[in-house]
Amino acid sequence: MPIGLWPAHWSRLQRSNATLVTALLLLVLVMATLGWLFSWLPEPIGSSAEIFADGARTTLWLTLVSGAVGLVLGTATALARISRWALLRWIARFYLWVIRGTPLLVQILFVYFALPLLVPGLRLPEFAAAVLALGLNAGAYNSEAIRAGLLAVPLGQTEAARALGLNRSHVFLDVVMPQAFKMALPPLVSNFVALLKDSSLAYAIGVVELTNVGSRLQSTTFQPIATLSTVALTYLVLTTLVTQATQAIEYRFDIEGRSQ
Amino acid sequence: MSAAPYIVVDRVCKSFGAQAVLRDVSTQFRTGEVSVIIGASGSGKSTLLRAINRLEPHDSGTITIAGVPVGPDEATLQQQRTNVGMVFQQFNLFGHMTVLDNLTLAPRRIHRTPRAQANAQAMALLRRVGLQEHGAKYPWQLSGGQQQRVAIARALAMNPKVMLFDEPTSALDPEMVQEVLDVMRELARAGMTMVVVTHEMGFAREVADRVLFFDQGRIAHEAPPAEFFGQPANERIRAFIGRMGAG
Repeated sequence: MPIGLWPAHWSRLQRSNATLVTALLLLVLVMATLGWLFSWLPEPIGSSAEIFADGARTTLWLTLVSGAVGLVLGTATALARISRWALLRWIARFYLWVIRGTPLLVQILFVYFALPLLVPGLRLPEFAAAVLALGLNAGAYNSEAIRAGLLAVPLGQTEAARALGLNRSHVFLDVVMPQAFKMALPPLVSNFVALLKDSSLAYAIGVVELTNVGSRLQSTTFQPIATLSTVALTYLVLTTLVTQATQAIEYRFDIEGRSQ
Repeated sequence: MSAAPYIVVDRVCKSFGAQAVLRDVSTQFRTGEVSVIIGASGSGKSTLLRAINRLEPHDSGTITIAGVPVGPDEATLQQQRTNVGMVFQQFNLFGHMTVLDNLTLAPRRIHRTPRAQANAQAMALLRRVGLQEHGAKYPWQLSGGQQQRVAIARALAMNPKVMLFDEPTSALDPEMVQEVLDVMRELARAGMTMVVVTHEMGFAREVADRVLFFDQGRIAHEAPPAEFFGQPANERIRAFIGRMGAG
């Protein structure tokens, strides 16, 4: 949407950069002034503005960290799935099978409550447990998006690169990955937005994120409409800002000018 | 032509499952020589080309390039591939890169050529194929004929000793075939060693030093073009030439 705001004579790269920078600045600005913004809202939100703002910041932070973990894990898993070594393929399949076949809530509870019993000493704080569970979950779904991208790069591209004498890592990094990433981007963005909302499940192990704050306030003030609307609206603002940034990245890769 | 053989193919066999595509193929490609390989679809001509740079590993027999066997060792193979340029039927240009970047990728990565120098060399090659205006464009902005000329320039960017052409005009609209053949003719005139798989009988007649006829995975016949087309050695060849409209 804001890509069209820039002067028509700007290049694709300039528009993409401008959108990206604007969206990120806006995100930082909103995050920094959230408490002040909430304080203008009527009761019971106004008086709990800072708690709400902290919750929203925790939600975003939780999403960013586990999103990064998920991206790394997803890439590694996608590579393992198409690896020459059967053992790697099997490990990746097993991971995907377990994560995709069980509820995220169970995974979060498992990491927080069961893992310390299975692995003595691995007693993770709430936030770290949530990051681990969310990251593992996002990694599984991301791996399928990335694998779809990798498989969609025509074999002829690899052959042409190999025929030039490029080694395996150059064939992959210069030729296959950039094209695969472009194709994987839309589903990766969907996964990221889903992760932002799914981070609310961390509420179950006591992470004080946005949903948790709203729920607590709702139960003490008995004003579900005001509190839950604020929670929902905050998620909407966060996902909007995040998707503006990712659209700018998509636009950067759109050399054929196909996105409008 | 009595130059040293650059590529030697000796009793090479290759099967896809139960289907034998190359049966005991032996031949040599000499420096400076233009060899044109013709034959029906599925006769094994593309497979031979792809076996030379090991895009399709052969099952038995040996292929040597400048005396070095083509085998599974990656480092040797990469070295050999830099000496063997390849042009594909489907161009296979890197769609996410500009024309100039398509040409400079391999020199920059393999020879660590500085970008400015690689760009200058690439521009010289683009001038040679008549596309100096198009360096900043992306492949999708070019016609098929232009894309194939970029692909030829990309292969030339590594200064190969030999160029392999795998049906380079088969995916083109008829009016674009000539511009690609012209570039190939110019290359042959400049003394490039070439192995060309094609259905362009006119090109074979005019440019080839020798014509190889593939039939059911074997080199069924080999002759200089005048003899090959003038006095077809047998009925199958006569029929094939007739079907290609060059009889």
